[in-house]
Amino acid sequence: MGNLSTKIVGVITAILIFISLYLIFGYARTESTMLEVQKIFYYHVSAALTLYLAFGVNCLFSIKYLIQRKSDDDLLAAAAAEIGLIFCTIVLLSGPIWAKYAWNTWWNWEPRLTSTLVLWLMYIGYFILRSALEADKRKLYSAVLGVIAFVDVPIVHFATKFWKSEAHPERGAKFDIAPSMLHTFLVALVACILLFTLLLIARYRMKKTEARYEIIQQRHLGEAS
Amino acid sequence: MKIIVFASFLVVLGVFIFATQVPVDITPDKVSAAVSEAISLSEVPVDEEVMEQAVKNAITILEKGQRTRLKYLAAAYIVIWLVFMLYVLRLGQQQQQLDQRLAQLEQTSVTVTSNQ
Repeated sequence: MGNLSTKIVGVITAILIFISLYLIFGYARTESTMLEVQKIFYYHVSAALTLYLAFGVNCLFSIKYLIQRKSDDDLLAAAAAEIGLIFCTIVLLSGPIWAKYAWNTWWNWEPRLTSTLVLWLMYIGYFILRSALEADKRKLYSAVLGVIAFVDVPIVHFATKFWKSEAHPERGAKFDIAPSMLHTFLVALVACILLFTLLLIARYRMKKTEARYEIIQQRHLGEAS
Repeated sequence: MKIIVFASFLVVLGVFIFATQVPVDITPDKVSAAVSEAISLSEVPVDEEVMEQAVKNAITILEKGQRTRLKYLAAAYIVIWLVFMLYVLRLGQQQQQLDQRLAQLEQTSVTVTSNQ
């Protein structure tokens, strides 16, 4: 993706974030049970769906690395995991604020919350592993861990179905969602996905430059010795 | 980078002010007028003072509830903004460090070449 197209995506993302904020606070109907607090939903759920996408990209490029052993795939997988972790952190921080109002507790060991925390810890482990190993081992082992960690994503998604949670609505349950709320949610979701794309491009480019720098530095050291 | 952070801070501040504003357009005068009107329409005798106090209490409870909910809402959006901003700032710092390291490396290679 060239610089111009990245800038265009950036401008569209910024505009969509502004529009979504306007829609959340000025257009979407206020839900009748939780009233204004329900408006956390728009970015909480959008961030959750975006983290699925981010970790999906990580898994996909980890598999691609394992098959083709191209360094670029490893860099892209790591960049996606890092941004996925940011979205996961947002979900884990905004969730308890909502929970405090809805359930009168910051945290409970409910299936979806617990599996999301496990997912977050697994990707923290992914980065600890990457920082602890040498370049060649790092790429291989983190690709394997990337594939294994992704197994938790469907567990998070279907947690309410597997363990019959009462706190989060069951997947596939019928929602009485007003069209204004649905439109607002879709705009927030697209904004989150575009933001992910933008951050992914930026992080991938940085990682590529870092990798190139390391190669040049090693060459210099070799020449000097 | 600083401009982006400042601009997004202004946006979040705007959202915070917008979200925490309680749309109170029910003034005590309006309450008194509405209570008097309701009592005049009522067929049973009602104590106006008691009625007015009850309505004021109800409005206070509703406003307090709304203020609490808006605090939760604002807190969630501020947390989301903070996480993104900290990440973007960190990326900016890393990019700066990388540029410096690359410049140093280029300078070193120029010196080595000229010495040879």
